[in-house]
Amino acid sequence: MMEGILQGLSTAASPINILMVAVGCFVGTFIGMLPGLGPISAIALMIPITYGFDPATGMILMAGVYYGAIFGGSTSSILINAPGVAGTVATAFDGYPMARQGKAGKALAIAAYSSFSGGTIAAIFLLIAAPSLAIVSKAFQSSDYFALMVLGLTAVAAFAGKGNIVKALLMTVLGLMLSTVGTDQGQGVQRFTFGLPSLYDGISFLLLAMATFALSEALMAILKPKTDADRKREMEAQKNLGSMKLNKEEVKEMVPVIGRSSVLGFFVGVLPGAGATIASFLAYGMEQRLAGPKKGAEFGKGSIRGLAAPETANNAACSGSFVPLLTLGIPGSGTTAIMLGALLSYGIQPGPQLFERNPEVFWSVIISMYIGNVILLILNLPLIPYIARILAVPSQILLPLIVFFSLIGVYFVSFNTFDIHLMVVFAVAAVALRLLDFPMAPMLLGFILGKMMEENLRRALAIYDQSWSFLWERELTLSILVVAALVLFVPMVGPRITAALARRREASGEGG
Amino acid sequence: MLTRDRIGALLLLAFSVFYWLRIDEIRLLAFQADAAFTARTIPEILSMMGVVLSLVLLLRPGSAAKVEAAGFLWGKAALICLLMVAYGLTVRPAGFLLSTSLFLIGGYWILGERRWLVLLGAAVPLVVLFWLLMSQVLGVYVAALPEFMDFGR
Repeated sequence: MMEGILQGLSTAASPINILMVAVGCFVGTFIGMLPGLGPISAIALMIPITYGFDPATGMILMAGVYYGAIFGGSTSSILINAPGVAGTVATAFDGYPMARQGKAGKALAIAAYSSFSGGTIAAIFLLIAAPSLAIVSKAFQSSDYFALMVLGLTAVAAFAGKGNIVKALLMTVLGLMLSTVGTDQGQGVQRFTFGLPSLYDGISFLLLAMATFALSEALMAILKPKTDADRKREMEAQKNLGSMKLNKEEVKEMVPVIGRSSVLGFFVGVLPGAGATIASFLAYGMEQRLAGPKKGAEFGKGSIRGLAAPETANNAACSGSFVPLLTLGIPGSGTTAIMLGALLSYGIQPGPQLFERNPEVFWSVIISMYIGNVILLILNLPLIPYIARILAVPSQILLPLIVFFSLIGVYFVSFNTFDIHLMVVFAVAAVALRLLDFPMAPMLLGFILGKMMEENLRRALAIYDQSWSFLWERELTLSILVVAALVLFVPMVGPRITAALARRREASGEGG
Repeated sequence: MLTRDRIGALLLLAFSVFYWLRIDEIRLLAFQADAAFTARTIPEILSMMGVVLSLVLLLRPGSAAKVEAAGFLWGKAALICLLMVAYGLTVRPAGFLLSTSLFLIGGYWILGERRWLVLLGAAVPLVVLFWLLMSQVLGVYVAALPEFMDFGR
């Protein structure tokens, strides 16, 4: 392991890779700050540029973009109450009130220190957890991988929230359906290609990600532009940031919050489907309860704890979400799904083999997380007043540019104009589904996992002589599938059982 | 009541049924027909799941929220979509520099920019710089000129 860490360190610390982390953090912050554009769009926009790089450099750049985008999302949450990503919604609860009290600089500094600490502590956990899990996962067979992917997909749906589980499941199925377009890997026959040669290789994941995230988000912004009052607010916010210095008492208040939220964030991030959003809300709720009545009442009005908790947890969860990606090859979130797509396009299969075959990628990504966190703190924080000027670029200039970069990012990979037209179709469909409040991330996750799931299922059936019995005979597969079923059905049935029990208790209370 | 969830469910039901009907077009060889797993297996499972889940959502929508269509600039969004289609049609024959400049100018114009200096200044230099970056620095060949002028193609 020590040898791997050193190898990762030497790869990540090479001048070109440090430059890439810095560029990634900077560009990610820039894109993440634009309301509506989150890490998925930011990474998707960067992928075409990374095709010319070696895989480690490409992944390091994207990890930097990921962190940068989360940090940029926090900045727009704090300054203009417009979270670029769901993971930074909780940041706005206390960050925005602080900015309104003239303490925007302080709020940004708290966010940056919390993100740094959360990311760094979680990266240490990752350093320990990832290799251990990679070793354990060597015992996994195709049937277990299939079951794990089912678990990943059901978990995403289960965490979608009350009333949204069926919608998230439907979007997952839609993504799985789209993944079947193209030439079947097992039998070499065409599926849903409608005789179009451009579809023989299937739909590119980059095209789908770009169309359903970056492009559809730009179209949504065109459909519903900001009001003049919003624009004025944004201009003012980026002008008056105030001091960024923290005093001793404020630091003292933050430290225990950061410790608790890092641990919580990391473990929530490891769970497939949970990710930064749930981690940030859980950390916020936990700290509010722990704060006691007096400090707890400050939450929502500019509390330091209320800002530090979600910021720490969302960055820790980002690191956590790399555990299933790097060790099992199973992404736990939309963002890591797009990273998986990028790895596959470099010809690298994440999973236990990554640890052995491409240790430089495995370790350098982990090491680059530390470097990314340091860069965010020492480079991005002082530059925030300047980066925040992006908010002043008029939308009539910014939006066509986003549309252009989305289209050209896909076109420059394939040089097939059919892709541009297909993107328009997907973007329009995505806008319609967004207006109907259908989530996009489960679709992307379903799409990326679809082919792998089918391949693993096919292999498992071949191993078990075309019998489906492995589903109940192999204990590990069965256990994972049972967990998947529980993850899906407990949130659906749980509240009803609780309500029924409460009714019964009430009835017996009345009777008694 | 036609809620957001129900409209979405109807759209996805239609898609799932369409997908289902197209499964027959996947050709199987004679010896594959009786296999436990064929190229049709997953599509069949998925189409069934799609239909069942759409019906569940149709009958038991998660929320009663209706579609909010007021205040949306449908015309502008539609024009941008048409501009993208036109870009796809012109990027090869007209070359990267001309088609992309026109695309950006058109985009700025549709979204309300009317100052010629801004329209040209925010499009042409950026396109040229981007082309230089891609072709000269990153080594990606991008045909810059229209087909009839570019003898290198």
